[in-house]
Amino acid sequence: MITSSRDRERKERQDKRFINKETQTSAKYLRRIEELSGAPSGMRPFLDTLRRIYVEMKGIDIPQTEKTIGTYCVMVPQELIYAAGAVPVKLCSGNYTAFFIGDDIAPRDACPLVKAVAGFKHTGLMPVYEKCSMMIVPVTCDCKKKIAGMLGNYCDVMTMHIPTTKGDDDIDEYVSQLYDFCARLEHATGNKITYDSLAEAFHKTGRAQYELSEFIRLKKQMPYLIRGTHAMTIMNAAAYMPAEVWADALRSVNMSLSIRAMKGEKITNKKLPRILLTGSPIVYPNVKIPLLIEEMGGIVAGDETCMGERGMWDPPVITDNSFDGMIRALANRSIRPCPCPTFADNTQRIYRLKQLIKENQIQGVIYHVLRGCLVYDFEYKRIEDELGKLDVPVIRLESDYNEEDVEQLRIRIEAFIELIKLRQPPEKRSEDSREL
Amino acid sequence: MRSRKRIIRTAVICIVFFALSYFALYLPFYKFPPESYGTSLKKIFSVEYIKTLIPLFIITGVSVIGIALVIFIRNKLLNKNGRDISRYSSRGKGKAPRQKPAVFMIVRWVIMVLFSFMMIWGGLLFGLRSTNISLPIFSCPANNVQMTETSCYFLSHPKDLFTELPIKNIIIFFVSTLLFIILLGRVMCGFLCPMGLVQDIMDKIRKKTKTKGITPNEKMYAAFKPIKWFMILLFFGIGFIGGNFCNFCPAITVSPILAGIGVSLYVSGFLMILILIGSFFKRRLFCNICPLGYLVGLFHKISPFRIKKDCTACTECGACYEACPMGIKTIYTEREKADVTEANCIMCGECIKCCPEDNALSLTCAGKKLYTASRKNVMSGYASKKNEVEI
Repeated sequence: MITSSRDRERKERQDKRFINKETQTSAKYLRRIEELSGAPSGMRPFLDTLRRIYVEMKGIDIPQTEKTIGTYCVMVPQELIYAAGAVPVKLCSGNYTAFFIGDDIAPRDACPLVKAVAGFKHTGLMPVYEKCSMMIVPVTCDCKKKIAGMLGNYCDVMTMHIPTTKGDDDIDEYVSQLYDFCARLEHATGNKITYDSLAEAFHKTGRAQYELSEFIRLKKQMPYLIRGTHAMTIMNAAAYMPAEVWADALRSVNMSLSIRAMKGEKITNKKLPRILLTGSPIVYPNVKIPLLIEEMGGIVAGDETCMGERGMWDPPVITDNSFDGMIRALANRSIRPCPCPTFADNTQRIYRLKQLIKENQIQGVIYHVLRGCLVYDFEYKRIEDELGKLDVPVIRLESDYNEEDVEQLRIRIEAFIELIKLRQPPEKRSEDSREL
Repeated sequence: MRSRKRIIRTAVICIVFFALSYFALYLPFYKFPPESYGTSLKKIFSVEYIKTLIPLFIITGVSVIGIALVIFIRNKLLNKNGRDISRYSSRGKGKAPRQKPAVFMIVRWVIMVLFSFMMIWGGLLFGLRSTNISLPIFSCPANNVQMTETSCYFLSHPKDLFTELPIKNIIIFFVSTLLFIILLGRVMCGFLCPMGLVQDIMDKIRKKTKTKGITPNEKMYAAFKPIKWFMILLFFGIGFIGGNFCNFCPAITVSPILAGIGVSLYVSGFLMILILIGSFFKRRLFCNICPLGYLVGLFHKISPFRIKKDCTACTECGACYEACPMGIKTIYTEREKADVTEANCIMCGECIKCCPEDNALSLTCAGKKLYTASRKNVMSGYASKKNEVEI
């Protein structure tokens, strides 16, 4: 509680320092992304969105009358939020400055993502967080459970229970939760969710998913078409853009990529080691690992992370066009294809990784673990064993939300990339092919 | 405790079914005078035909009332639980995203409708009289002018098979039935069976009216299983203890009466009403307990029609399981085998239609792909029109 004027002054100073530091780090990482060669034309809207949120510190770009609903994890169906006339934002955070503040609030062993969220909410300075009418927190791990309680002190929070298995009864349970979610959303936004508005929302997000599948198809078709960091930036920006705007922006990227593919242009002519990034979420501005990989001469050819393709890849398939059928499609999409380690048996993640390795001709896998992210850490051993059978090298990179471990990460990534280069046959040099 | 409850429930259903089928003759639904058995082209185009159709009108009417009642009661029950869910069931003018119709589905519907039409009126209109070739589907042979014979009568009345038919016909019966079982397998269920068509039409109506159905659940399918086995016992055994399966069989209400043959209906009529109401809410309800289908399904291992799965392309989204009218779960849990054909599979292609992964599922006939899953098809409902204009 702020009691005296001195306290208020101190708070103001702290806030100023926070804003300065926050905008500086965000701007730095944005600059590093921009400096990376081979960005497709049409990247601007995504970078601008990230700049708007983190550097200019504004809310998302929607009319004042529209409300935003904060979501965490990939299990919250965005369709319902659009149906209620609001816009969803993903609030999972990767911010270093907020992390330092959260460090004092959350216990030492809590994961940095949760600490960063707690930090942001504690300072009360980020418009994206402050403007949310409600936050939905699926309970996917212990940290998320406790952060839900913590956020409850600041704003309206709804928790969603995520089942640990994927049986029929679990889906039924989730469906009834989604009905509760509908009621809460209607209460928060004041709009009614009807058959029509839900169908409309399906079209909105469906178009975004359509563009995304085109994007991934292009990426798959031709290796070295786009850098993974750029792809991840696009996916990260989706968190702060309304689906239609994002779909339109991605469409122009797709166009430029297909032109690039037609001309046979690549970002490089060298055979850069193709690396798959998986594990704990990589959220802007914590993009140091993909940036390091690409700066060290590798290429992030695919990612299997929450903020990446996983969240949007699987479309909701409506097998029954009643309202209930649509809700069921959403529940089904949210739970069944999700390879989140919160599920007790997550063998399907291994299949998913194998599939990505095959499709993207992956040569090495980097398993990213945020410090304190137990569920992902648990799965490392099994994945290492399984990928060992395929003769794909894997390393585990543990990192935190600060820049102290960058040099250490750099050394490890460099060594890993050298290892892959040693394994691949020496490349032939050709003079006539163009380099972007 | 729960399992005991389940056993009792199943036993009660089975006993009721047995009693109904055994005493079917005492429970008339609609009786025709004996002279109305028989049909001709003239009868079809006369007022008498309408008279023959009366039981069908009754069945449809009662079914419609039944469906309305079920929806009404369900909404009342849902509101009682304190959660106002029923208001979501209001249907709007908006359209849920739908993918473009697949060629396979159109072909399936055309074949289904044409074949059923031919089985009912083909003999009358085009003079395609009965041959002795028997198909194991539920198209009632009481319609003695249908295009070709069906096996169900003699399978459920084995006594008549050996006493009434000449030896040549017995051989034709066995050979043709077996041949169709092996060659087509349960493709017959998905493509030819008129009972299947009736149920699919009910499902189409439900989808058109955007009504909530019964959600598929393993427990429900598990409950069907013992009932299905009991139906097989009834189907083959009731003839030996003095009953007649035809008085119980719901298929008798469709084909003969539409062809203008006044066949008296007993329990069948009541059962048909139940099945119509049931299949409105649960797609292909009767197929789940169909004895003939089970018999055909036993030979699924040697049928040339197969559902193939590319396990590396699957993301286990479960859409195929949601869509499957027969509740086959292995199709989405399987991660090793390439062949996911099951005894229950009726080759309706719904799983492939809604599979969003390229080539993850396909229907093959003797190794040739007939219908393959593709993301483009599934997402076709989402590709905005704006895209096409700009290009």
